[in-house]
Amino acid sequence: MSEKDEEIRSIDEINEKIKRGDAVVLTAEEMINLVESSGLEVAAKEVDVVTSGTFGAMCSSGVFLNFGHSDPPIKMTRCWLNDVPVYKGLAAVDGYLGAASISETKGFEYGGGHVIEDLVSGREIDLRAESYGTDCYPRRHIETVITIDDLNQATLVNPRNCYQKYDAAANSSDRVLYTYMGTLLPNYGNITFSGAGQLNPLCKDPNYETIGFGTKIFLGGGIGYIIGEGTQHNPTSGFGTLMVKGDLKQMNSRYLRGASFHRYGTTLYVGIGIPIPIINMRVAGTAALKDDEIYVDIRDYGAAVRPDLRPVIKRVSYAELRSGKVTIGDRDIPSSSLSSYKMAREIAETLKKWILEGTFFLTRPIEPLPKHGKPKPLKVKGRELRAGDIMSRNVITAKPSDDIKEVALKLVEKGIDHLPVVDEEGKLAGIVTSWDLARAIAQDKRRLEEIMTRRVIVAFENESIDVVVRRMAQHNISGVPVVDRMNNVIGILTTDDISRKIVGGRTAL
Amino acid sequence: MRVKLIYSHSVVEKPILSSIVLKTGIPINILEARINAQKGEIIVSIPASGEKLEEILNLFRESGVQVQEFIETLRIDWEKCVACGACISPCPTRALRFREDWTLEFIEEKCVACGICVAACPVKAINMP
Repeated sequence: MSEKDEEIRSIDEINEKIKRGDAVVLTAEEMINLVESSGLEVAAKEVDVVTSGTFGAMCSSGVFLNFGHSDPPIKMTRCWLNDVPVYKGLAAVDGYLGAASISETKGFEYGGGHVIEDLVSGREIDLRAESYGTDCYPRRHIETVITIDDLNQATLVNPRNCYQKYDAAANSSDRVLYTYMGTLLPNYGNITFSGAGQLNPLCKDPNYETIGFGTKIFLGGGIGYIIGEGTQHNPTSGFGTLMVKGDLKQMNSRYLRGASFHRYGTTLYVGIGIPIPIINMRVAGTAALKDDEIYVDIRDYGAAVRPDLRPVIKRVSYAELRSGKVTIGDRDIPSSSLSSYKMAREIAETLKKWILEGTFFLTRPIEPLPKHGKPKPLKVKGRELRAGDIMSRNVITAKPSDDIKEVALKLVEKGIDHLPVVDEEGKLAGIVTSWDLARAIAQDKRRLEEIMTRRVIVAFENESIDVVVRRMAQHNISGVPVVDRMNNVIGILTTDDISRKIVGGRTAL
Repeated sequence: MRVKLIYSHSVVEKPILSSIVLKTGIPINILEARINAQKGEIIVSIPASGEKLEEILNLFRESGVQVQEFIETLRIDWEKCVACGACISPCPTRALRFREDWTLEFIEEKCVACGICVAACPVKAINMP
């Protein structure tokens, strides 16, 4: 047993002090200041509890609802709240509404997160449900209006909340990306990040010595409990997560806010605060960790690959991210958060107040969180369909100096719409479509090089067909040359090829 | 003062802005420009007021440039804003930033009403009138 393991105070002792009204409680920011001014020894001796907080978008959030039975009763098989689908693979009138569930009428503007906020605010919600009808539940359809008070239970159960920290995002591509990390400008135009860093609950106890199964927490303005590690819990890499639950009826819409990320989807901003009992020197030390000691990677969202494979651009501290700019090479790139530091601070303050008032007591975890392990990727059975599987290898090309009318003739003869233009070495130099040629002839142009598109959208042979299809849709084009790494044209892929060769789903090749 | 200058086909190729800068000695700052052979739109910030400003605006009008003054750019619903910061780094003119206390600050003089923040705001607290 090292000195750091030696217990300074027990949770029972702290609760006794809370009861007597003489517990010393600081927010994480105050703890940092105290350690800087008086040293860790003094701070550890003086401070009983450090409060943390975070307020950010947490998509893996949702609420279990029990609607109560109507007369005649219904076994709801499909259900909507304000047109947002509720998961109904549960008993007759139980449902689960996830924050990322999207309205069937309003799309990305409104979703499960917004319904949760509206419920907590006491607003009226349209309930609609369908059934096939059974002997015991004959009703087949119901439409009514409910508020949270009409529900028997509304229990927030969030499978993954409160990330210990989260990698920041940038975009190397040449177009704006709208992601769950917000708006990412092209050519590394900005950096976004999430998490409260030095206020973030799991950052204050990264060894999970005080935070575990059963820990009582501030959740959405009410009381919640940690019910286990969150999904994708990744302690090995320092990205722990929590699964939490709490009574939605006791919560406050100030700390539960529906949100939409442009062209991505809906989510819920959740406020969580966790008390850290200063039980030993090691916990005192981690509770005083500062933004400049907490590091994450900046990842490139310009690459359409698995999240953990996104290229790392730079390793950076929360202090640098929060400063408003990050230096990469010789450029200062603007950075900003997606989670609210102001609200995180408010949550830590509120939790501190509750403890000082004697209305919030600390709990000892009944089980620790897993300290090792990392999430696995999803294996894809069979072979992924790639551009090379579908493309035509027999590519007809033209040269920049070619005569437009001759080229037009070639297109008509071969019955094609896309013609890659290659230079003398066979490297891609441009592209023309039948539409470009029609216009060029109308305008009396002569040479292909006068009219060809020089910034060509391309695909690579080993790229997933879904990635290429999305790229074509984004650029509103119907064909892409397929090139190798040396920019030699090796094929062409058109929407015609795709619709002709992928018939009846993914089966026929 | 921020204004939008709209150049029609007939004047788009003339060096009107630089002539006015040379003539008045006022360093007009270009915030955003969209110009092609047919027409152009330039958003500028003119560091002048009163008569001097009127003189400059009249010079543009006389040269055949349509002048649109920005009266209002964005409306921020401060009740809705959670001060997350999602609008800050996408803003091309740094018109949004955090104050010392991590609340959001909007610097209207810098705003060119491009609207990127409207899309970036997760709680729909920003609108363009």
